[in-house]
Amino acid sequence: MLHATLKSLLARKLRLGLTALSIVLGVGFVAGTFVLTDTMNKAFDDLFKQAASGSDVIVRATSAFQPSQAGPGGGGGEQRDPIPQDLVATVAGVPGVRSAAGGVTGYAQMVDPKTGDAIGGVGPPTFGANWNQTANAALELRSGAPPTGPDQVVVDAATAKKYRLSVGQTIRVLFQGPAREFRIVGIAGFGTADNLGGATLALFDTPTAQQVLGKEGVFDEIDIVGDPGVSDTVLRARVQDALPEGVEAVTSTTVADENSKALKEGLGFFRTALLVFAFIALFVGAFIIFNTFSIIVAQRTRELALLRTLGATRRQVMTSVIVEAFAVGLFASILGIVAGIGIALGLQGLLAAFNIDLPSTSTQLEPRTIIVALLVGTVVTVFSSILPARRAAKVAPVQALRESQETGAVGSSWRRLVAGLVVTAGGMGALLYGLFGTPASAGALVGAGAAATFIGVAILSPLVAKPIAAAIGAPIRGLGISGKLGRENAMRNPRRSASTAAALMIGLGLVAMVAILAASLKASFDAALNDTLKADLVLSTSSFVPFSPDAAAKASQVPGVAAASEFRQGGFRVNGSTAFLTAVDPSTVEQVTSLKESPGSIPALANGDVLVFDDVATENAWAIGDSLPAAFGTVGKTPLTIGGVYTENRLVGNYVVSLETYQKYFPEQLDSFVMVKLQPGADPQTVQRGIEDATRSFGNIEVQDQTAFRDKQAGFINQLVGLITALLAMAILIALFGIVNTLGLSVFERTRELGLLRAVGMSRRQVRSMIRWEAVIIAVLGAVLGIAIGVAFGWSLQQALASQGVTELRIPGGQLVLYLVLAGLAGVLAAILPARRAARLNVLRAISYE
Amino acid sequence: MDLYKVYGSGDAEVVALGGVTVDFEAGRFTAIMGPSGSGKSTLLHCMAGLDAPSAGQVFIGEVDLTTLSEKQLTLLRREKVGFVFQAYNLVPTLTAAENITLPLDIAGDKPDRGWFDTVVDAVGLRSRLGHHPSELSGGQQQRVAGARALVSKPDIVYADEPTGNLDSKSSAELLSFLRSAVDDHRQTIVMVTHDPSAASFADRVVFLSDGHVVDEMRDPTSERVLDRLKSLEV
Repeated sequence: MLHATLKSLLARKLRLGLTALSIVLGVGFVAGTFVLTDTMNKAFDDLFKQAASGSDVIVRATSAFQPSQAGPGGGGGEQRDPIPQDLVATVAGVPGVRSAAGGVTGYAQMVDPKTGDAIGGVGPPTFGANWNQTANAALELRSGAPPTGPDQVVVDAATAKKYRLSVGQTIRVLFQGPAREFRIVGIAGFGTADNLGGATLALFDTPTAQQVLGKEGVFDEIDIVGDPGVSDTVLRARVQDALPEGVEAVTSTTVADENSKALKEGLGFFRTALLVFAFIALFVGAFIIFNTFSIIVAQRTRELALLRTLGATRRQVMTSVIVEAFAVGLFASILGIVAGIGIALGLQGLLAAFNIDLPSTSTQLEPRTIIVALLVGTVVTVFSSILPARRAAKVAPVQALRESQETGAVGSSWRRLVAGLVVTAGGMGALLYGLFGTPASAGALVGAGAAATFIGVAILSPLVAKPIAAAIGAPIRGLGISGKLGRENAMRNPRRSASTAAALMIGLGLVAMVAILAASLKASFDAALNDTLKADLVLSTSSFVPFSPDAAAKASQVPGVAAASEFRQGGFRVNGSTAFLTAVDPSTVEQVTSLKESPGSIPALANGDVLVFDDVATENAWAIGDSLPAAFGTVGKTPLTIGGVYTENRLVGNYVVSLETYQKYFPEQLDSFVMVKLQPGADPQTVQRGIEDATRSFGNIEVQDQTAFRDKQAGFINQLVGLITALLAMAILIALFGIVNTLGLSVFERTRELGLLRAVGMSRRQVRSMIRWEAVIIAVLGAVLGIAIGVAFGWSLQQALASQGVTELRIPGGQLVLYLVLAGLAGVLAAILPARRAARLNVLRAISYE
Repeated sequence: MDLYKVYGSGDAEVVALGGVTVDFEAGRFTAIMGPSGSGKSTLLHCMAGLDAPSAGQVFIGEVDLTTLSEKQLTLLRREKVGFVFQAYNLVPTLTAAENITLPLDIAGDKPDRGWFDTVVDAVGLRSRLGHHPSELSGGQQQRVAGARALVSKPDIVYADEPTGNLDSKSSAELLSFLRSAVDDHRQTIVMVTHDPSAASFADRVVFLSDGHVVDEMRDPTSERVLDRLKSLEV
């Protein structure tokens, strides 16, 4: 029996290949994600270890909590106060210390000398630091010399390459304080890498770095090299004893481990995000497998019945189908792992294109990756074949003798209806509970609910496939016989059409949901601006990268400006969990925006109190005058008094403090945006030009009126939507392979009918057109179902996020129609191969009798 | 026209048609008979432009089929030729009426209402026009195929064992219909059959054996055809 199975498998190589392809892509995505993130982990681990090898012990200020994900604004990452520079002399005197060097790091953004635009800032940070090879042993000059003197800078090799910077050139650098010009004296790299994970780096000599980074008289850390024979732990203990309160000594290995851990946390998020898309692709692949095996079993009814007549048991027949699935799954998973390595390299190339340069290291294919890939691919395939296999086992021996008729009928529609409704309702229920309830693992619940909803609708879809396909096809019926027959073919086997369309439904459902969410976000932001924004102009950078407060100072001096109100953002902790706050200027904030705050809030803000978004306060039963259990990285737990509540949180989030308070707890002072109010009677255009001139030297600041600011925000959202849609494209691609596969099998099944049509005068072109229309209808059917689900999901998500500021629901009709049209075009694409095959059919052979 | 059809080459060569010259008169019903493997079907396929002869020429009217491209042959089949096959004659997704007008729909032509009614009434399918093939009996299906073959008023209708799967009553109904198309509308029909009683409906019978025309008979009867066939098989 096994022998017969494998024989029949090999006899259909093409079908095997097409079926396997969907799994290969899905598994490839999974394996690729692991390979890429493992490789990145390894690369940075190596780098941190190498960097740490320069020093043995590091002295730094204590931090209240471990560094976590960087949030928006300057204060989201690791927050430590600087330490006095005379500590260098103190620790240098500790027995066993051979040398001690201070290091400073901070915000420094270079300006492209050719275009005048600021370099980088989107994603990876832009750093300035002192030239300190003790702190980073991997740091080495590629050309030129180390910086010596107040006008010299060394830049990282990646930035130099990308912007064609060379030694001797003059470059402008932006800081938290005033911007300055420097001469490039050297280009530096880190071992084999041109930069550190995409960050741009400007290096100065120590006094210059301290001055421009606003850290005069202080260092962020002191890097110590010990005498030979003194162990790191012993040295650390000795140094620690010499340090004052609030300063700690740690071994460089500890720092490397911390850095690794922080990076792994970041990468873990990245990995999870990629894996979500990979599993969506696999989920779609499962539909394809299910569908292909269903069709194959239907077509092989006679063969299976013959086996049954010859004495094969039901169990053997079922096993034969499952063994076939197992073989396909295993084979596809192995190919998927190979594809995964390719995908990982491709993604790495993509990152490099975004200027995120990975230190070179060997590609990491861990046993875990292989096991997960094989397991996932094989299990998904076998699981998807169980239902078709059970159907195969039900074939009665007598069917070998009967003329096999294509059964288009949907059997037991009542059972299907009930099962479909139960699964759909369960899925939506889980989804909504995940969104609106407060379960422990909301994300997983939402994901499972969405998957169940898709399965439920897929179960229901054969019931509606026929009327929907008929409606979609109605306009093309008039286009002649090809359209008419294509429509009939799409309707003739609703189960097959529906399950083929279901695969596409998933991709489009998610794409539609993202589109709706994005449109709602934009509309909500617009509404927020309309309701609250009183400012005439907004200063921000191209990608909302924080910038120097100097810009606001310069803008406020431009004639016609009544107020330039600064907004800073930062991460802190409330009750131990990460939260974000916005710092505003109590003296001017009311002129530019309205928080709809409780009376007395603004004076309280100026007093050092915190304002809390009304809903959050209610949720936590906090009242005005209560103490907010806040903690900052620099100082640890610092309860703040709640000075008021407000109801307008769309611009400022859930917590608001004054700029003065912000300065107390955050080491870096950078503005996220600045809102400008004009004096009555001032000409907006003149003032805008004035501010533009005044802030031109920053290179990256845009001055926009409300409309332009709104457009920019929309552009930012569009970018994100584009990225997510691109990642979902894999799922859509796999669904298209599903259409190719189904049509191919249908063409094979209808050989005789196609022969007849050709015999009575149908041209090849008409045959191709017929197959195309069938594909278009199936694709649009999938799109219609998907968009319907997408609207439901999008609406639920918007409702769930309403309290986060997504108050408006927008359904972008034009865009959804565009998706429908694109789905139809994709159907045309999917039909190319099957249509060609159908058109090339040998007429004589097709109509010959057996 | 000295038609040759050779399959394979060298030792594996099978000569299906070994120099056949035969003409079919317009407005007549001709049957082609012969034992299995005599080349009947191959001859029919070559004459209908479904298969290309290895050598020789095929004319429908003035047109030499062997000079036509695949595209031209498709057009020719659409416009000048009607077909009735032994089985699988109908498209399962189309109704009887749609199957009948299929060649016209493929050409994008409007059916001639009067002629359509004439044909439909002649096959006695008026009440069944809205049915799908799966709802029709074998005999009815073949009559729908017959109506389809005639609806585009082709120069010639080829029938390949049209009664092969039918009982005698259904066979007789179909053959009477074909006969009346010749008598009432001067339709030209060529039919391959191995059934002497089917052949008896024809004006003329051409006998084929081993790829050659060996005999022909005018105004055949079942008995005479049967006798002739017996002598051929000996």
